[in-house]
Amino acid sequence: METPPKNNKWIAIGFLLIHSIAILIFTRGFLLTRTELPFHSTCSDVSLSPCLASSRPNHDSNFNSSSVLSNQNHPKCWTKAVVDRVIIIVLDALRIDFVAPSAFFPEAKPWMDKLTILQKLAFANDSSAKIFKAFADPPTTSLQRLKGLTTGGLPTFIDVGNSFGAPAIVEDNFINQLVLNGKRLVMMGDDTWTQLFPNQFQKSYPFPSFNVKDLDTVDNGCIEHLFPTLYKDDWDVLIAHFLGVDHAGHIYGVDSSPMIKKLEQYNSVLEKVIGILESQAGPGGLHESTMLIVMGDHGQTLNGDHGGGTPEEVETSMFAMSTKKHTASVPPEFDTSSCKQDMDGKQICISSIEQLDFAATLSALLGISFPFGSIGHVNPELYALGSSSLNLDNSDLGNFGTQSAVKEWMENYVNVLCVNAWQVKRYIDVYSNSSVVGFSSDDMSRISDLYSAAEQSWSNSVKRILMDRIGDEDSTNISPLKEQIVAYLSFFSSVVELARSKWTEFNLNLMITGFGILVISLILQFLAVFCGDKSYAVESWLSTGAAFTLFIVTIRASSFLSNSYILEEGKVANFLLATTGLIKLRYSVMRKTMQKEAVIFLAMVSVLRVSIDIGLTKQAATSQFMSSSPSWMLGIAPDLPALTYAIEIAPIVSMVILIYVLYIAIAETSSEGLWKYVTVSSMISYFLIALLWASESKIFGLDVLLQVIGGRNRIPQTVYVIGLVQLFLLASARIFGAGKDMSWAIRTVALVSACSSSVILLSGKQGSMLALAYLLAGYCIMRLEGVERTQSDGQHKFSKLNPLCVMQWSLLSICMFFASGHWCAFDGLRYGTAFVGFDEFVLIRQAILLTVETFGFSVLLSVFGLPLLIPNHSQTPQAHGKKRYQLFQMYMLYGVISATTVTATILCVTIQRRHLMVWGLFAPKFVFDVVGLILSDLLICLASAYYL
Amino acid sequence: MRKLSIFYYVFFFRGNEREEKGKVMKEVKKKEKLETSIGDSRSALGALTVYLITGLFLVVGFWVVGNKYSVDLISDPSLTLRLLWSIEFPIVVIIYSLFRRNPEECSYFRAVGRSIIGLISGALINALGAVSLSAPIGMQSLPKTIHWSFLMSVFTFVPATAVFGASWTDWHRVFASLKPTGNIEYMIVIPAYGAIIGGWFGAWPMPLDWERPWQTMSDDVADGYWLTGSELGHSLT
Repeated sequence: METPPKNNKWIAIGFLLIHSIAILIFTRGFLLTRTELPFHSTCSDVSLSPCLASSRPNHDSNFNSSSVLSNQNHPKCWTKAVVDRVIIIVLDALRIDFVAPSAFFPEAKPWMDKLTILQKLAFANDSSAKIFKAFADPPTTSLQRLKGLTTGGLPTFIDVGNSFGAPAIVEDNFINQLVLNGKRLVMMGDDTWTQLFPNQFQKSYPFPSFNVKDLDTVDNGCIEHLFPTLYKDDWDVLIAHFLGVDHAGHIYGVDSSPMIKKLEQYNSVLEKVIGILESQAGPGGLHESTMLIVMGDHGQTLNGDHGGGTPEEVETSMFAMSTKKHTASVPPEFDTSSCKQDMDGKQICISSIEQLDFAATLSALLGISFPFGSIGHVNPELYALGSSSLNLDNSDLGNFGTQSAVKEWMENYVNVLCVNAWQVKRYIDVYSNSSVVGFSSDDMSRISDLYSAAEQSWSNSVKRILMDRIGDEDSTNISPLKEQIVAYLSFFSSVVELARSKWTEFNLNLMITGFGILVISLILQFLAVFCGDKSYAVESWLSTGAAFTLFIVTIRASSFLSNSYILEEGKVANFLLATTGLIKLRYSVMRKTMQKEAVIFLAMVSVLRVSIDIGLTKQAATSQFMSSSPSWMLGIAPDLPALTYAIEIAPIVSMVILIYVLYIAIAETSSEGLWKYVTVSSMISYFLIALLWASESKIFGLDVLLQVIGGRNRIPQTVYVIGLVQLFLLASARIFGAGKDMSWAIRTVALVSACSSSVILLSGKQGSMLALAYLLAGYCIMRLEGVERTQSDGQHKFSKLNPLCVMQWSLLSICMFFASGHWCAFDGLRYGTAFVGFDEFVLIRQAILLTVETFGFSVLLSVFGLPLLIPNHSQTPQAHGKKRYQLFQMYMLYGVISATTVTATILCVTIQRRHLMVWGLFAPKFVFDVVGLILSDLLICLASAYYL
Repeated sequence: MRKLSIFYYVFFFRGNEREEKGKVMKEVKKKEKLETSIGDSRSALGALTVYLITGLFLVVGFWVVGNKYSVDLISDPSLTLRLLWSIEFPIVVIIYSLFRRNPEECSYFRAVGRSIIGLISGALINALGAVSLSAPIGMQSLPKTIHWSFLMSVFTFVPATAVFGASWTDWHRVFASLKPTGNIEYMIVIPAYGAIIGGWFGAWPMPLDWERPWQTMSDDVADGYWLTGSELGHSLT
């Protein structure tokens, strides 16, 4: 009669497989990767273009000997090189308001106007420097941005996952082109660069980038190598990537003194760099024709988070300066600058640029071939900054000189754009031919029309103007040039628009297939729970409990259709949990039993709700809120001494309570042998954690302890080791078949306590209090499980399980996810916790720690702790078999509840795939849910192997 | 449902009654028969009149709020809520005190007095329930929550305290077991449950957002929803 346990295990594994397949198929349709083409541009390609291939012979004759000479120094590739050397200083996570003057923002904040040297240079009279507002494309993580900056393309969402182990870029890119054209590169700073470009740098000084707690190593390393390198002549392009601002943001937030200190440090570094450049800028000097670019790869929110597509994250800045004086001016039609009055009434302007255009513009400036897959265009303003040398001798001719300088610049620019347009068109053509999911023919023909129109006018008129420049030297008629530029720009903008819309193109067939498989698996799971051959273990699905469970699941599932529901998911889950609590309270009052449990349950729900609220505000809070880390506890008045004292004490007290609870669990149950030792060692782990926290806080005066035991990493490592040994012991006990007749309570306590110590440690000081709240609420759910039943049939018969309690447990675990300060976005991951106990970065180890921290309470403990919900009356042996089946059904029910919500998420993602917030909100939510589902399926397999 | 915590509350403070539960239970049965006859003496028409009067005064309250003070739930929720409950409260007390249990033992003024206590304790419990159902907490929304709880208390607790006093058995029978007998008890339990269920539904769409402009002020409106919902529930009954 009894279902063999092995069979159950196979069912769990079966659902794991079905879910994985469904999700895999859906993900392939939803998170599309752009096809990377293996082609590379070469110098000789340009002869295929309709543009003026070699340097214009007529044109050169106008130049005096020195410029001819300089021309010979720079063998021309696609365009004529206008600068010799480029220094790119990347300041990671440079917000626009770090660089742009505070006059551009509604309110001056403490972190603004710190990089004064940049503002001074950009707004000086007759300056050859400019501040740009640079727009990054999401996802705004460093790796994605570096990839986008160097390839000139649009990295896709799926690459986010690679950010922890940057793979080398295989696509054609700016760095690659530099190497092909014989430029020498030097790199210092963030080691992501050397991971992306392992062989391209002639010299590199990489420093590890993932230890976010370390504000200075990378920067100091950069500074140490930057200044000596500036005096050398063995490089053409220098890249220095500073990470301090990004790390300061991650740890302290934007509005914090470490951030301001970092910015001030950068200001002095930049001052020194510019000083060196200017001292060497004279004719024949080392930096006669050097361009300095100071840029951010992306912005950051006030919390220091980035990754999404909000304006704060996307808007970064770029400062460009040429060591040449008298740079070309841009005709007003192509000027993107916006101007404000500063405090002295002076007109100050900042321009704007797309990061997409960076690769093309720099390639044009350095005169190398553009990366094959670049879809950006040469930015007129940035290009103009470097272009002065072409008309050095003309610029002192007064008004007429300026006019002709403008014209000359435009002639040059229009030719660059011609090459640029030809290259973009070539890429689009090749891409749509070779990619599985190319562009639609409508879009292709629209683009081709735009291009051929531009090309027509180019060949018919403009080319002739450029060729025949001799003779009509005086002509200042530049309108055909302008029209030509406008035609090219409209071509570029339609290409970029198409690319943006199409590289997030979804494969609807795959998406629907994946969704369909999930729905089928849901139906199967539903049948497994309610229509098994032994349906006695769970109340029939027609009962009130099941109907109410269904109601709640439906509400929760349909809530994902709205983006603000996803933002406030924790609150919604909490609301539903409180509703079930109130219903339980009503029943408990009606039956006059266990009112205390019902009220405690409601109280715990309210506690969780407060911590969810604080977690929600964390997204918007300034750094003062977060500065001393266990964030949400700092509530109303953080400066009250009593409160700080309480905040220090409370985690340790709750740790002690947890130890006591474990002690009771051992003492009350007939725990013996292995399980007892495992539980006791968990108590030791708890004690160690309490000791660690006590020694970290100042009030206990236990600082000495840390030195005695040898650093702050010793205790966490011990806790991890204890946890692993415990798990190993439990697993081997299971394999060798010991303790099969042990009651579940003992085995569950052993397993959960073994897992919990690491989870609590990783969650930080809030962990112990949350664990306590979780425990209490779980206990109340267990006690209240059968409260609706009339007492008469509860005591004698084997009681059926009310599905509502599993629903409550699952809602509770969702609340725990949010209450422990997470939210479904990549900036909600707490990277800092990956370094609890370790200083250096090892991908797999840190990824495991981060996963345990993120899903510890909501999946790990909740799946392993599920057997605690089994009401433990009627301990007769014949009930054991029934209970085993009941436990199996509980796991199936838990699985069906989590799978339903994920299916709902997937449905909503499918419906909302064109929503504005799809990458900002729905896609991260999807990823979190899917990872959570696969993880819970996996753990359900493990748990059913362990318990059944 | 939220309000049911009152039972715990009452139970807690009258804990000594617990020991006497058996004794009380027997008495209840006697009482029930006695009171059922009284209850039946109130006609359905009378109950309807009571509903009409309370409903009318709710409308009057809204009229006063809208025309005299020219505010509404969205522009100034706490003032609106305060006006509403202070207009509604006397009416409810005056009417329901007429139907008090054991009129010979309990004077009219005693019934009025205990309904004031009922108002305050009911408000406390409603507030706790609202907070556990994620009503906004924090100093700026405190007055809104308080006034909302008072209004809910007027609909849920005040009639019951006026009629039953602190008789736990009556409370339990009518609210928890949902076995009201007689028109008076129906008059108490239906509006109370209506208000609660309405309030719950009012709170439910709170964070909804389909990019409508009016939904941007969700937090401020939250309490408004609660009230509209509860009134809807009340008026529907």
